Amino acid sequence: MPAFASLLAASAALRVASLNMCADEYLLLLARPGEIASVSRLSRDPADSSLWRLGRRFPGNRGDLESALRTRPNLLITMGGGGRATSLIAGKLGLKTLDLPFPTSINDVAANMERVAVALGRPGRSLAWQRHLARLRAAPVPPRDTIFLGAGGNSVGAGSLEAGWMRLAGLRQRALAGGRASLELLATRPPAVLLRSAYRRSERSIGQTWLEHPLASPKASKILTVDGRPWTCAGPLMLGEIERLRKMQ
Amino acid sequence: MLLAILLLAAAIAHLLLPVGPLREAQAMDPELADLILAQLRLPRTLLVLGYGAVLGISGAALQAMFANPLASPDISGASSGAALGAVLGGYWLGLTQPLLLAACGATGALATLALLMTLAGRRADTATLLLAGLAISLAAGAATSLALALAPSPFAFYDAFDWLMGNFTDRSLAQAAAALVPAGIASILLLRRARALDLTALGEDVAASLGLKPRRLALEVIAFSAIAVGACVSVAGAIGFVGLVAPVFGRHISRGHPGRAMAPAAAIGAILLVLADMVVRAVPLDRPIPVGVITALFGTPLFVWLVVTMRRRVTA
Amino acid sequence: MTSLFARQVGIAARLQPTDLGVESGELVALVGPNGGGKTSLLRALARIEGAAGQVSIADEDLDQCSLARRRQLLSFLPASRDVTWPIAVRDVIALGLDRPDPARIDELIALLELDPLAERPVDRLSTGERARVLLARALAPSPAVLLLDEPLSNLDPYWVLRILAILASAAQSGQAVLVALHDLGQLDHFNRALLIADGEVKMDEAPAGLMASERFEDVFRIRALNGAWSIRRQADPRSSQ
Repeated sequence: MPAFASLLAASAALRVASLNMCADEYLLLLARPGEIASVSRLSRDPADSSLWRLGRRFPGNRGDLESALRTRPNLLITMGGGGRATSLIAGKLGLKTLDLPFPTSINDVAANMERVAVALGRPGRSLAWQRHLARLRAAPVPPRDTIFLGAGGNSVGAGSLEAGWMRLAGLRQRALAGGRASLELLATRPPAVLLRSAYRRSERSIGQTWLEHPLASPKASKILTVDGRPWTCAGPLMLGEIERLRKMQ
Repeated sequence: MLLAILLLAAAIAHLLLPVGPLREAQAMDPELADLILAQLRLPRTLLVLGYGAVLGISGAALQAMFANPLASPDISGASSGAALGAVLGGYWLGLTQPLLLAACGATGALATLALLMTLAGRRADTATLLLAGLAISLAAGAATSLALALAPSPFAFYDAFDWLMGNFTDRSLAQAAAALVPAGIASILLLRRARALDLTALGEDVAASLGLKPRRLALEVIAFSAIAVGACVSVAGAIGFVGLVAPVFGRHISRGHPGRAMAPAAAIGAILLVLADMVVRAVPLDRPIPVGVITALFGTPLFVWLVVTMRRRVTA
Repeated sequence: MTSLFARQVGIAARLQPTDLGVESGELVALVGPNGGGKTSLLRALARIEGAAGQVSIADEDLDQCSLARRRQLLSFLPASRDVTWPIAVRDVIALGLDRPDPARIDELIALLELDPLAERPVDRLSTGERARVLLARALAPSPAVLLLDEPLSNLDPYWVLRILAILASAAQSGQAVLVALHDLGQLDHFNRALLIADGEVKMDEAPAGLMASERFEDVFRIRALNGAWSIRRQADPRSSQ
C-alpha cells in the first residue's frame, strides 16, 4: 500500500471529497465541516446549487481526481462518469471510493443517504432525514393534475424521480408525449397546478423566452414557482421543496 | 528532425503542466506526486499522443485510399460509428472490460466504413464522398445520442458529450493500454503500406499492373483504420478535425506523397491533440469543455481553406 | 530474348479469350473503334482485371513472379492523365523505380524535356506536360514490355513525333512496345498492327496491309479515297454488306 494512504489511514480523521454536484448534496447534508475536503465547483455556484453558501466554505474541485487530490481526501464520493476509471485509479492511489448509483426513486435517494452516512462512520446521521420523509409519506395529500414546466417546455417523466417527489406533495405529473408540454397543450388542457422552474431565469436562452410566452402561464392553472436548483439532482434537498409545496397549496 | 523535437516537447509539457498540483502533492507526501504522474498524468498523456497519432495515420491512409484530401475518420463516419459501437457495448450490453469495449468501437467503425464504401464506392468524386460520409456520420451521431437516451440506465444521456466530443479525464493505464495496443498494431500495419499507398497516386490501374491488389489494399486500409480509431474512441470518445487536418500538413512534409505522409501526419496529429487537451485543462471554467470543441475551433478554418484550395485547383 | 506470350487472356463482356505473342523489338499498334477492346486487351495483358488466362514474359509467368520482378518485366501507362496529389515531377518519375536512381531520373527528365518542370507539383501541369511525366514514369525501369494506352492523344505534333521516336528506339534496344492508338495517321511508324473490334482481334499484320483491307473499312466504316479517309455510305456498292 502506498505510503501516502497508510499515512492518512493512521490519522483517523476522515476527509471526504465529492466529485459531483448531486453527490455533494449528500456530503454537505451529512458531514461535519471538518470532514469535508472539497466539493465540486458547481456546489459553490449560486446559479446551480441551493447549498452554495455552505459549499463556499470548502475548496472546490473540477470533478476529476487530480483536482480533488490536492485537498488530501481519504474518501471519494462519485456519481456517474461513464468512461472514467476514477474509482480504479483512486484505488491504486490508496483512496477509498464510494460510488453512488443514480437514484431513480425516492427509496434510492434514501438508500444513498444511508450509504453516505455509513461511509462517514455515523449511520445515525441520516435518521433525521429518514424520519422527515416518513412523516411526509404518512400524511398523503390527494393528488391533483400537475405539469412541471422547465425552459423550453421541457417537463419530467410521469414515472421519474421528480414525479415521485411531486406525488409526495399531492401533485401528480401528467404523462406528456416526448416529456414536453407544448403551448397548445397548455392552452387546450391546462393542468390544475403548474410548477414553473426558476432555474437560471435571468439568463437569456431560447428556453427562457419560451417560458415568457403568455400561453406558458395558463390562467386556468394555479402557478407555483419553484427553486429549480434542487430539481437538477432531485436528491435529498427535495424534502424541503416538498414541504414548501405542500404549504403553498 | 524538428517534428520529433516538437513532439517530445509537447509530450513533456502535457505530462508536467500544470505543475502546481504536482508540487503540492510533493509537499504532502513524496510518493504522491509520483503516483499522480504514473496513474493520472501518464495514461492521459499516452492516450492523447496515441489517439492523435492514430487520427493522423488513419486520416492519411483514408485520404490516400479514397484519393481525396477530404476523407478522414470523422467525415467518413468512422469516429461516429465507433462511438455508437462503444455506447451500445457499454450501456446496452453492459460490457466493462476495456478491451471488449475497444472491440465494440472497432466494429462500429468497420460498419460505418463498409456502409460508406457501399454508398459512395471507392473512387467517388468529392461531392459523393462528402455527402455519403457526412450523412453516415450524422446518422451515427444521432444514433449514439438515441442509444444513450434509451439505454437501460436513464442517466446514460449525461455521458453523451463525452462520447460525441471526446474527454480524456481520469482514464486509467488499463484503458490506455486497451486503446493503444490494438491501435498501435493496426497503425504499424498501416505504416507498412506506405509505399503501396504512394503507388495508388498513379491511379488504380497502374498500381494493379505493378502487382498491387487495389481492392485488397482498400479493405486493409479500412480494417486497420477502423480498429485503430475504434479502440481509441471506445476510451476517449469521438474527436474530429485532427484526422482531416494532420494529413494535410503531413503531405507538405512528404512532398505530396499520400502514403509517406502517414508518419509525419502521426506526429502532427499527436501534437495537435496534445495542444487541444492542454487548452481544455487550462481553461478555468466550472463546466468542462470537451476536447472536440477545441479541435473543431482550430480545425474549421483549416477545413475551409482546404475546400477553397481544392476548388481553385479544379478550376485551374 | 524478352518476348511476351499471352494465352487465353480475356475480360468478361469486353474481351474474348485471346492468344497473343509479341517478340522483343516489335513496335505494335492496337487500333479499333471506341469500346472495341483495345484498352481491355492492354489491361488484360497487364493483369489489371480479369485473372483469366496466362501471361508470361521471357518465360516467367506474370502472376507468379515477385513485385520487384514485375516492374522489370512490364510497365503499363493508362490513358487517364489524372494525378490527385501534388507530387513533384521528379518524385513521380521516381515512383516508377524500385530504388532511388537520380541518374536515371535525370536522363528521363532530359529525354522528355522536363527540366524546367522537374520540381513542380504534377497536378499543376497542363495535360500534355503531365502526359510526358507519366510516360517517363513508365519508361523508368526499362521494362521488357511497355503497354501504353493512347500515349499520343492531345499532344502537339512535336511531341507526337518525339515520343514515336522514343518508342522506336525503345523497341530497337530490345523492348517490346504495344501502343493503343486513335490517330490512324501515326500507324506507319509501327511495324505491326492489330485491329481490335467487338472484343476480339480481327486482324494482325503489317499496318499497310491492314489499312488497305476491306475488313478495316468494315470495322471503321470509312474508306480511303485519294489519300484521305472519308465516311463510307451505306449504299456504297463496294461495301461488303
